[in-house]
Amino acid sequence: MSKSTDRGPRGVWPRPMSRRHLLTSVPALGGLLVTGCAETHLPPTVRGGLVGAADVLTMSTTRWLMSDQPLAREYERSDIAPNFPTWGQTNPEDEDYQRHLSEGFVNWRLPVTGLVGRPGSFSLDELKRFPSRTQITAHVCEQGWSAIGEWTGVPLAAVLETAGGVSPEAKYVVFNAMDGWYESIDMFDVVHPQTILAYGLNGDELPRGNGAPLRLRVERQCGYKNIKFLKSIDVVDSLAGVGRGTGGLSSDYGFHWYGGV
Amino acid sequence: MTSKEGHVSAGRWLLLHSTNVRICHWINVIAGGYLLLSGIHIFLDFPELYWGHTGYQGYPAVFKLSDWGLSWEQAGELGNRMWGRNYHFTFAWVFLINGLVYTVWSVVSGHLGARMLPARAELRPASLRADLVEHLRGSSAQRAAATTYGPLQKLSYSLLIFVFVPVMLLTGLAQAPAFAAAWPWLLDLWGGRQSARTLHSIGTGVFVLFVVVHVVEVLMAGAVNRIRAMITGKFRLREEGT
Repeated sequence: MSKSTDRGPRGVWPRPMSRRHLLTSVPALGGLLVTGCAETHLPPTVRGGLVGAADVLTMSTTRWLMSDQPLAREYERSDIAPNFPTWGQTNPEDEDYQRHLSEGFVNWRLPVTGLVGRPGSFSLDELKRFPSRTQITAHVCEQGWSAIGEWTGVPLAAVLETAGGVSPEAKYVVFNAMDGWYESIDMFDVVHPQTILAYGLNGDELPRGNGAPLRLRVERQCGYKNIKFLKSIDVVDSLAGVGRGTGGLSSDYGFHWYGGV
Repeated sequence: MTSKEGHVSAGRWLLLHSTNVRICHWINVIAGGYLLLSGIHIFLDFPELYWGHTGYQGYPAVFKLSDWGLSWEQAGELGNRMWGRNYHFTFAWVFLINGLVYTVWSVVSGHLGARMLPARAELRPASLRADLVEHLRGSSAQRAAATTYGPLQKLSYSLLIFVFVPVMLLTGLAQAPAFAAAWPWLLDLWGGRQSARTLHSIGTGVFVLFVVVHVVEVLMAGAVNRIRAMITGKFRLREEGT
């Protein structure tokens, strides 16, 4: 489990965290589970009763099994779904969204705020100038359907690195969407190479119905965590101030915050 | 508590089921009931099944509930995937832990070999055929007197524990993105996430069939004595049998 070669601190704010450091810090996080500090592998808020106990078991077990940070399966081009489905919100009524949509998102910017060295914002063009990652993965909806698509985007870790790296007390990244949705993921998934901010689907621009201009791909969690129509991202040490305090609209509603199963 | 199964106590009572068997059995009833109900809730929220890695509304389906008279909207009103998911995963843990406790105990104590696993001779076609005939033609008095499991019953329980439960567990886990990332062989084992979901749904039917047959058998074999034995452990022996 703990095959970490780099057990240093997870970047010291405000010194920018190198990408290598960001990525190699992951085994160290995985190692925490066996050394007794499982904090990062527990749900941010534990629900009551037997359901909460099962949440803890599910999240800590899957995190333990994934302590070497495996990639979600990547498929072949021939596996791509013929008509990638859209689900949920496909055209936010929000005025700002409609304006950006009509302008082709040229004036849209993604603010990156919170516990980063240099809070700022990125235009879509700037995000596209980052080294990109393209991955053919299965979108797994918690409803039961799944579809394979080719996503192109910028690794979240690279964006955070450019924003000055995250401070040592940072625990979660919160995503706000232009349709009012919000979700959050913890550092274990933040630093994963397949966690990307996607602007392309199947070789084209990300369609509106699939979350244009930018959506989160967090491949080892269910569809509801893969938030669309991104508006801003915020790095935090606590989810208490997010929505009703559970860290996501779906979890505020009653779904488990951790969408790994 | 510690008295051995099969021990005849004073009078005409037999300790048929040990405490461990009884506790595990009733936990299974609760967990199995919740798993079935919550699983149906999850299914009704997306009442189509597919084969392979991909499957969504509009993709060629192997099963559509709408072909059987319940439209997507009607099914959606009956199902609740949020409640279903919360309780399905909760009772999957209860079922799994209970099952592991039971299996380890029954191997260590010898219960498994002595009472549950069919002997080689019992598995011969002639033996199974004879057991089936006895099942169908036997008198209710005969059924009510049985204090050991017959070959078909042993075979059913063994298949349930060592084939059915692992298949349900692994088809369930294959659908979870985190487990599929940790164990990619899960996807290969079933030929894709949607195949796993379809097999998991077929398994639900097998489970319902098992429960129906199990309950009917109990009702036909001296229901009061059988159910009492699974609650208190004590089975009342028939006058002529002692």
